[in-house]
Amino acid sequence: MDIKHSSPTTLPDHQPSTIEKLVAFLDERVGLKEMQAKMLNEPIPGGSRWAYVFGSILLFIFAMQALTGILLMFYYVPTADHAYASTQYIIHDVDYGWFLLGYHFWGSSAMVVCVFAHMSQVFLWGAYKKPRELLWLVGLALLGVVITFGFTGYLLPWDQRAFWATTVGVEILDKTPIVGDFIARFLKGGPTPGQMTLSRFFVLHVMILPAALMALAGLHLFLFRVAAPAGPFTGTVEEIKAKTDYFFPRQIWKDMVGMAFVFVSICGLALWEPVVLLDEAQPDPGDYHPEPEWYFLFYFQLLRLKLFAGEFGQFMGAVALPVVFMILLVALPFFDKDPERNIFKRPIALISWIAIMVFIILFTVASVINREFLD
Amino acid sequence: MAEDREAMSPTKIGFSILWSACWTGIPIKAVFAVLAMTMGLAHFEGRFGLAFLMLFASPVTVFAVPIIIAMFETQFGEGIGLPIIFGMSIPVDIWALGLVGRTFFLERLRKEPPHDGLGFSIWWRAALIGTFFFPLLWCIVSRVTEIAIAASHSMAEMERMRHLFDTGLPIAERIGLELTIWGSISSAVLIVLAVIGISILGQTIRRMAEVARPVSENYQGLITRWDLMRVPTDQGLLLTSLAGVGVVFSLMFWSILPVTTPHPHECCKKPDVRVEPVFKPVESLSSSAQRVATLAAQIGAMEQQKVATKDQKEKGKGKVEAGTAKDSSAKTKP
Amino acid sequence: MLQPKLKSKVRCTDHDIGEVTKVVLDPLSHEISHIVVSMNGSGERQVAMGHVQTVMEDLVQLRAPSTDILALPPFKREDYVTTHEVEISHLEDNIHVTPGEVLVPLPDLEKNVKRRTFFMNFTHVIGFLIGLPIAYPILRFLMKPMYADFDNEWLKVGNVSKIKQNDVGVQFKYKKKVKEAYMPESEIDKNVWVLRATPEVLEKVYGEKDMEFRDAKGKVVWTNKKDIPYVAFSGKCPHLGCAFKWRQHKTLGQVFLCPCHLSIYDASGTVLDGPAPRALDALPVRVSAGGEVEIIDMEFKAGTKSRIRIV
Repeated sequence: MDIKHSSPTTLPDHQPSTIEKLVAFLDERVGLKEMQAKMLNEPIPGGSRWAYVFGSILLFIFAMQALTGILLMFYYVPTADHAYASTQYIIHDVDYGWFLLGYHFWGSSAMVVCVFAHMSQVFLWGAYKKPRELLWLVGLALLGVVITFGFTGYLLPWDQRAFWATTVGVEILDKTPIVGDFIARFLKGGPTPGQMTLSRFFVLHVMILPAALMALAGLHLFLFRVAAPAGPFTGTVEEIKAKTDYFFPRQIWKDMVGMAFVFVSICGLALWEPVVLLDEAQPDPGDYHPEPEWYFLFYFQLLRLKLFAGEFGQFMGAVALPVVFMILLVALPFFDKDPERNIFKRPIALISWIAIMVFIILFTVASVINREFLD
Repeated sequence: MAEDREAMSPTKIGFSILWSACWTGIPIKAVFAVLAMTMGLAHFEGRFGLAFLMLFASPVTVFAVPIIIAMFETQFGEGIGLPIIFGMSIPVDIWALGLVGRTFFLERLRKEPPHDGLGFSIWWRAALIGTFFFPLLWCIVSRVTEIAIAASHSMAEMERMRHLFDTGLPIAERIGLELTIWGSISSAVLIVLAVIGISILGQTIRRMAEVARPVSENYQGLITRWDLMRVPTDQGLLLTSLAGVGVVFSLMFWSILPVTTPHPHECCKKPDVRVEPVFKPVESLSSSAQRVATLAAQIGAMEQQKVATKDQKEKGKGKVEAGTAKDSSAKTKP
Repeated sequence: MLQPKLKSKVRCTDHDIGEVTKVVLDPLSHEISHIVVSMNGSGERQVAMGHVQTVMEDLVQLRAPSTDILALPPFKREDYVTTHEVEISHLEDNIHVTPGEVLVPLPDLEKNVKRRTFFMNFTHVIGFLIGLPIAYPILRFLMKPMYADFDNEWLKVGNVSKIKQNDVGVQFKYKKKVKEAYMPESEIDKNVWVLRATPEVLEKVYGEKDMEFRDAKGKVVWTNKKDIPYVAFSGKCPHLGCAFKWRQHKTLGQVFLCPCHLSIYDASGTVLDGPAPRALDALPVRVSAGGEVEIIDMEFKAGTKSRIRIV
């Protein structure tokens, strides 16, 4: 047996305490000490970094969303005749219901922001390149799951905003050639949105997507461990070695501080702007102008351009463009074979990232300005 | 990394220190801000993002913000919570700048940081530069943005005249075009001025570094040194006090968080509190007794009526039976 | 160069100094960086691979004299952990420092390859067959509400006496009873735009032929004759389903105008401006002798050029 370096040295006549006996019991059966060492003692080349916290923060946000989501399910009823009333009940009558619902609502926005931050960090650090291609692909699948979470959850309060954002969103999916009509009818549970839609979105949101996310996240973590952290993209071997520390406790500590900050921020947002529903969903939009969640606004605005008018234009904008973009993302690690990871030596990558950021910000702001011109 | 140590630009120095210090301070400032919001002392409405940025950059903005509010009548939010939060951020910033400053001196400049008060020295310099420079930046960027918006409006108008569209450039395109024009001008001016401001701060820090002694350790020694700087001498004390403060803040939060939503919907506004009418036992007893009597009389009347209709029924039984038979057959049809 | 094996002898230029007791790997490069030599009991020494001249199966030849090696600082075990106590991915993939292998026997039953292959394939077949019977019912289960039959009932919406002028859109509001799946029957508010059309406008609505309306299976349920002057348009804009209005436009005259995205249609439903992909959807309409207007409530897919009935 190896001398276990991680265990504390004990004096020869030291009587083991109850805890130590318990640990020894488990260790003999489970290999606890070795497992713990393997899980925690992972050296991070170049040291733990604040830039790396987003992955763990995403896991934290998911846990909080699951928790607040489960709590909301104690009172929410997913039928067209009770969804609105039960949501209003949570907001107005249940103690601190408004706060927990606000936390769940803003938590989903925080998740989208952190997904974007995490993807950007991975992209800028070139951590999608060999041997991390599979990590990138699983990450893209996770992105899809997170976006679908936001889309399905938005419908559940069943107010005008929820109903019409979903209607428009599913209409866009309908534009997919051949399978579009089937997919749209499948999601809607019929030709028009109604109770069937609410049931299906609810099942997706609370069962199918959480299971998918947990499975994919587990796979993502496993692949990350096998590929090892990529580390910084600059620095001599000496510098990297000098700063190298272990995942536990250093990176975990940074992750914790990050999580705490995100937690406080979401509380702040929930206090600043609590969830206020509009009127209950009606088949006639009346004076209400449908709008998706803020993180889809840029795309919503893009589709307003005359370039994408008409049936062909709609196809280009609603189907072709996003599909091409997704294909580019999926293929990225396979056509970018240059092992260089320093972002300042990858001009195409840097410019593309900045261009996409500017595009998203520009069109999001444009969409907000456009609200004034809708009547 | 080793090469640019000698010729590190003031912008790089200023940015590295400011960026790290702002991020170090913001988790603590955020806790105070959330407590203030829970207590209802600070209301942000639409300016939440801007207020957050001002708080984030508080080493520079702490005295500039009141000046901007006074001079330009901009609002970052309402309530006395705001000055309190900014006030709280002063010691936080001093501590953060000290920590970041010492690390920077050791790791990047390879110089001995001054023994005492590095945090305060950097802080008052940053605050001073911010007090003068930041309002100036605000003024210039606001003016440039106004002019740029007006210019892009008239450009879009011109576009409409020359364009083939009958009804003018479509709204979405027009907004996109105008936003790109004034957005890029405004951002460019903002970035240039921000870089200048950061560079000024960087220069003052560089002057401080010039009089500092170079270090004697090798790279690994330096890393170990600033890393161990973060481990407190009395760990138990720090951890216990931190936990204690956290518990106290949590208890405060639990007691001041409003139980019901501060923004109720039309549908479910709480009814006005009605004063309960005084309970008079004798009166209520007698009124109940009266009610019982009335009801008993009604029941008596109904019973009498029932008897009467029953008699009638017996007489018209033949006709009624035929009628009910027809009714029941109609009911059984799907 | 061969990798030094644990337990192999270590020889300096002058004489043997001991054997290889430990091997140290570099965590970044995953290569052997040092060997630890026993020094025959006088304290282990850590020797960099740079000092190694050649490696043979059971002998490591160093290029320095034993005095140099002895002069190296003693090996500090507490500065190291075994590879079982740390997680460095793929660290030992290319490291072979143990002479020989450690083996475990195959059970007798598993030595038969044909047996293994058969049971493996059999497992796959059973797994496939377990899934198969339920696949079709699941698909039908999920698809049940997706392609519902159409309701082709005639609904009374109002009387033609409400229409005072020709070629002017008049909104008729009505209530439709809907029963979705298990939900209690409810009434929703709907509206149609009816107009009494002059022959020119009627020509633009119908073109040359009567308008046929079909049910889900394609059978014709009604035909609007092109000479009947009453036309009923569905109240939903063909662009994205918003309710539109009849308004006076500054240049185009009296038109149907949709407030959502500003689609504009003339009295015959033809698109004058805006993102609408097709003209307004005409509905089956009949007027009784007493002037009662009846329609079959239909809905058509929004945003497509062709008119596809969905409700």
